[in-house]
Amino acid sequence: MNETEFTLEGIAKSYGDLLVFSGLSLEVKANRIVAFLGPSGCGKTTLFALISGLKTHDQGRITGLEGKPLSYLFQEPRLLDWLTVAENLSFVLQNKIPPVQLTERIDYYLAQMEILPYRDTYPRKLSGGQRQRVAMARALAYPSRLLLMDEPFKSLDLSLKWALITRFRQIWAAAPRTVLLVTHDPKEALLLADEIYVFSPRPAVIKGYHQITLPREQREPDALPLLQLEQQITAELIRE
Amino acid sequence: MPGSIYRNKLTTFGSLLTLLLVWHGAAALVGREIILPSPALTIRRLVQLIISGGFWSHLAATLSRGLVGFGLSYLAGLICGLLSGLFRSFKHFFHLWLTVIRSTPSMALILLALIWFPAETVTLFVTFLVVFPLITQNVTEGMGQVDPELKEMARLYQVPFPTVLRRMYLPAILPYLATGAAAGLGLTWKVMIAAEVLAYPKFGIGARMDTARTYLETPEVFAWTIVVIAISFFFDRLLQQLIRKKLLYWE
Repeated sequence: MNETEFTLEGIAKSYGDLLVFSGLSLEVKANRIVAFLGPSGCGKTTLFALISGLKTHDQGRITGLEGKPLSYLFQEPRLLDWLTVAENLSFVLQNKIPPVQLTERIDYYLAQMEILPYRDTYPRKLSGGQRQRVAMARALAYPSRLLLMDEPFKSLDLSLKWALITRFRQIWAAAPRTVLLVTHDPKEALLLADEIYVFSPRPAVIKGYHQITLPREQREPDALPLLQLEQQITAELIRE
Repeated sequence: MPGSIYRNKLTTFGSLLTLLLVWHGAAALVGREIILPSPALTIRRLVQLIISGGFWSHLAATLSRGLVGFGLSYLAGLICGLLSGLFRSFKHFFHLWLTVIRSTPSMALILLALIWFPAETVTLFVTFLVVFPLITQNVTEGMGQVDPELKEMARLYQVPFPTVLRRMYLPAILPYLATGAAAGLGLTWKVMIAAEVLAYPKFGIGARMDTARTYLETPEVFAWTIVVIAISFFFDRLLQQLIRKKLLYWE
């Protein structure tokens, strides 16, 4: 089926006496959306730091990521206040995209995220939801093989969250790439992911693994199969 | 709000008027213009200075010296501040130097410079050593305030350094650059006059003040002092205008 995007084999990582991972292994297939669920502080963000190369692991092997461009969506939009929406995108893109295609690409993704009318607005003038849309447009416009999303919907209210998730699914379907999603919300994971890993508290081990076969476009927040799976995953998260 | 602006202006005017009245009263009380000339006499002397030949040459000399000195200090301070912000080892290495320079009294710098350099260089050297550490400190502090999350974002997206410097660091530290400029420029005129008084260049307000003092021309000392205050005030206002227009336009 899908080829392998990257693999982790026996990854160990600790900060001083604090053991975060001891022998974590997993394989992520290309063009899949994979979610990592776990309690706060279990090492989800450390996992991303290892994948992105911000931090180095103590033991084990990571293969398949060498030289691959990655893009990121953080919990906060992380926009530069003194640049307009379009300039915030060009800030990360201008070195990666030929100048003649730059404006077109920026406008395309802003339109996809339904914020094109704000292309020349400064971030401070936008609402929290609009700012996160800009951050999402930036992550998607960036020519990456892998998109890492670290709790990207955490600070949004329910209706905004749902609107953004639907939008993201549509854009992703038009041009799939490998996506890793870190979240503590089972519902978010169920609405987006093909596969879900459930982590235990530190040191994190994989407590559960789920494949979601229901087509993404049929996944409504109240779809019955999802609700059942949500209960199951919640139980896994709570169980010691 | 126009009402409160009007009231503020009125207060400022009242404050100036009180100052002049106190000055006038004190001068009348002392009764000797060689000790304390009255405001009217000072103004008269100032007008005489302006219409006499040398005024503009001395003004131009002090202005150009001050601006060149300030410009050099600012540029050097900006570069050192950026380096300190970017490289922790540079910051620590440079910290001791800055502390030494800052702890040295301006007068000691002037006296040493008088031994080492010709008059023209003395003023620039001293201004540089006083203003440069101030700017460096301001820029370093500004660099320390740049959001680490933005730095991480730029790093993860592999944004090249020149772009990060131009579009992230410089705009982020703009408020610090502005306060540094205001404080540095104010200091420039003070130190410049002191250096001119002692180094005695051919042209320069400080040198004229010292000549006037020698001949007990107290009204002229006062007149030149008012010129220096006016210079300082003018550049402070100019900077305020620039800052208001350029800074925080995204708010």
